[in-house]
Amino acid sequence: MLTIPFDTFVLENGLPVILHVDRSSPLVAVDVWYHVGSKDESPGRTGFAHLFEHLMFMGSRNAPYPAFDAIMESWGGHNNGTTSNDRTNYYEIGPRNLLETFLWLEADRLATLSDVITEEELERQRKVVQNERRQSYENRPYGRAELAVPEAMYPPDHPYHWPTIGSHADVEAATVADVRAFFERFYRPSNASLVIAGDFDPAEARKMVDRTFGWQPKLPPPTRTPQPATPRLEKDIEIAQTDRVQLPRLRLTWHSPALFAAGDADLDMAAHVLGGGKSSRLYRSLVFEKRIAQDVFAYQSSQLLGSLFQVGTTAKPDHDLDETSAAVAAEIERLASDGPTEAELARARNTHLADFYKSLDHLQTRADLLNHYQHVLGDPGGVARDVARYEQTTIASVRDAFARVAGAAHLDLRISPESAAADAPVTA
Amino acid sequence: MAQAPAVGPLPAVALPRATRLTLSNGLEVVALRRDVAPIVSAAFMFRSGGACDPAGRAGLASITAEMLDEGAGALDALGIAAELEQLGADLWLGSGRDGSQLSIQAPRETFPAAMAIAADVLIRPRLEDADWRRVLNDRRTGVVQRRDQPEAVVNVVSDRILFGDGHPYGQPVDGLERTLDALTLDDVRAFHAAHYHPAHASLVVAGDIDAASLQSELEARLAAWKPAAPPPAPKALPWPQRPRLVIIDRPGAPQSIVRIVAPGTDRLSPDRPALSMLNAILGGSFTSRLNFNLREKHGYTYGAASSFSFLRNAGAFAARAAVFAESTAPAVREMLSELSGMRERPITTEEHAKANATLLMRVAEGLATTGGMATTFGELGLYGLPLDEPMRFVAALQRTTADDLRGLAQRYIDPDAACIVIVGDRAMIEPGLRELGLPPAALHNADGDRIS
Repeated sequence: MLTIPFDTFVLENGLPVILHVDRSSPLVAVDVWYHVGSKDESPGRTGFAHLFEHLMFMGSRNAPYPAFDAIMESWGGHNNGTTSNDRTNYYEIGPRNLLETFLWLEADRLATLSDVITEEELERQRKVVQNERRQSYENRPYGRAELAVPEAMYPPDHPYHWPTIGSHADVEAATVADVRAFFERFYRPSNASLVIAGDFDPAEARKMVDRTFGWQPKLPPPTRTPQPATPRLEKDIEIAQTDRVQLPRLRLTWHSPALFAAGDADLDMAAHVLGGGKSSRLYRSLVFEKRIAQDVFAYQSSQLLGSLFQVGTTAKPDHDLDETSAAVAAEIERLASDGPTEAELARARNTHLADFYKSLDHLQTRADLLNHYQHVLGDPGGVARDVARYEQTTIASVRDAFARVAGAAHLDLRISPESAAADAPVTA
Repeated sequence: MAQAPAVGPLPAVALPRATRLTLSNGLEVVALRRDVAPIVSAAFMFRSGGACDPAGRAGLASITAEMLDEGAGALDALGIAAELEQLGADLWLGSGRDGSQLSIQAPRETFPAAMAIAADVLIRPRLEDADWRRVLNDRRTGVVQRRDQPEAVVNVVSDRILFGDGHPYGQPVDGLERTLDALTLDDVRAFHAAHYHPAHASLVVAGDIDAASLQSELEARLAAWKPAAPPPAPKALPWPQRPRLVIIDRPGAPQSIVRIVAPGTDRLSPDRPALSMLNAILGGSFTSRLNFNLREKHGYTYGAASSFSFLRNAGAFAARAAVFAESTAPAVREMLSELSGMRERPITTEEHAKANATLLMRVAEGLATTGGMATTFGELGLYGLPLDEPMRFVAALQRTTADDLRGLAQRYIDPDAACIVIVGDRAMIEPGLRELGLPPAALHNADGDRIS
């Protein structure tokens, strides 16, 4: 039975606290999730949730910049944060003697960030974020394609229409007033959850949490915009892009069931059967037998408001995307009509289950999983329910879920190497 | 709470209890128990990597590693992959500069079966022609695709220039198109025969294991594996002359990938602990001088860092950042100035304490997962180091004073003798670099060949 042991309680102000003791090494991890992501941004301010995440390291009233990093690093601790469509997380890892320091730093920025944020700090992180966009997408092979997918798949008024990293223009347009408004609306104890994991005494930790977070005022959870209609494509979309790459790549995308919705686990299994490693169907057909592709991939990227199912392949030199596309289509057709074999489904399930086990090895990953289940299910103990839904998948359930997804319209995105002509200056 | 909480003393860091086994074929085994997750990680380390590639045949060690699981024992390539998935096991094969590695990670229950496959892969690889032609073609394509990735390009070019083409560390471990074209399946068979044997290897098994039954299990799996004479060790060569500035042109690139490289020192050097501290201050932590200057003060980059790589026969220093193309020259100026600053600006008490704590906790974190244990102890096996070496490292950190660090900076950090390698839009960045007083750039292509 797969479990992550924990205790949980809720502070007066609505902050759920989850404690996970592991005394196997002298480390602690503190992991805070806020239920806010790029889906909560407004058009014209895309990329804001992520820019805000950077500002959370720019100092708070009692720990002015750069104390957040300086204090913890002076004791060998380190930290980071990540932003997705659905949520923002922050974590610290370090020696156990830093536990209260971590909590104090997290609590102080939650209590006071908007009082101290300045235009200068905003400007500094604006530039950092723009360089993150250049490094992670614009100067990276096939990176611009990742930015094109959400824009094509979701209508302009859907909150997944824009990428988490945002646009340069919107990041430049952000103001300190935007920062304060976003902070006031989303950064409150009732919109967060806190995990403490590692080598600590639970009673002591509880007192530390009371001292640092307990006094903070109770505010209702933020009002949300109504959940948008489930998006669907009316017809297939074709997009052709060029990029600074040697080989052409095909990338197919469908709408698929939301995280934890019926079919979500089946589509993880379908993705594994199609493109999960060397024994997958696409690898066998395109890479191993036909030798027309350098790589293949397939994955279900699960999200709260609806997921995307993506399949892709990079063509070998002297092979083109029409050829690889036909071979991919044949495998999609076959999986949709026949489903996986018993052996394939067993392999997919075993791999998935083993990945769960492996993820339990790392302290911060466990902390993050507890918060993930709290965020999605309102229950840090959701791991058992999560595992069960994979154990319940069958040949028929995978086939049917996949056939429903692959039978709908999709995005056909083709990335070709920039030609010499494309490099020539454009004249109006 | 207005006041920062009091912080107690740093906890002691202790090594996990290691059990040493020697198998009848001479294989040295280290077993470490950790039962937080029901999994086991194992790593076979072979003391031959890319540095053993013969002249003109770069890529041989790494492609040999890659060929081993393309069919072995009773299973063909896809059969091995399918069986590992059935077991929920990951198997990874690859080569670095000094070693080659087979790692597995599997649930406790299926670990013995995964180990049986690993044994076939190491001892009974098929090495058949049809698989060879496919794997070689995939590798050749991968090496062509490497040109798309500016970070990979800067690595290849920096090493070729810093170490020189004749040096065992000069050529890319993955090879170049022309060196791959020179390889044959017989080369692979010969490399496997000469380097993959128990007298030239070590094994670490970490995780939810029963150390009492491990020896007999391993004996049963690995009995057929016979030792052989050790292969000749590659020899280091003197550092070649290096140009001051190298540009790999990437027209239209929104960022420049900057690498400032210089000679460092080897894995067995007594300077390693103190150099690690020096590096934590310069570019090995978020609040390091390089990151603070380039990212936080100037916003030139998403992150700047530095590192020493400590290899068997030599080592390298590198400072690195991916910077906004228009800021390339000022970013290079700031990087060089931080390198000078290590020699000129005092190391503060805070910096010294931070370096100490950072490295201590890095040791602790490295031992806090089964994979980390396998990596930590695998590296000790690779370099023939004693099992308490991490604690000797920690003790050396605590002995090192700020004065020691300043002395080392004089010896190891010399911005004027370093080579600056940049992948970026040449036309845009060159004028600014000239204004910094840098000489005209040597131009190389993405494989590192000099083109002017």
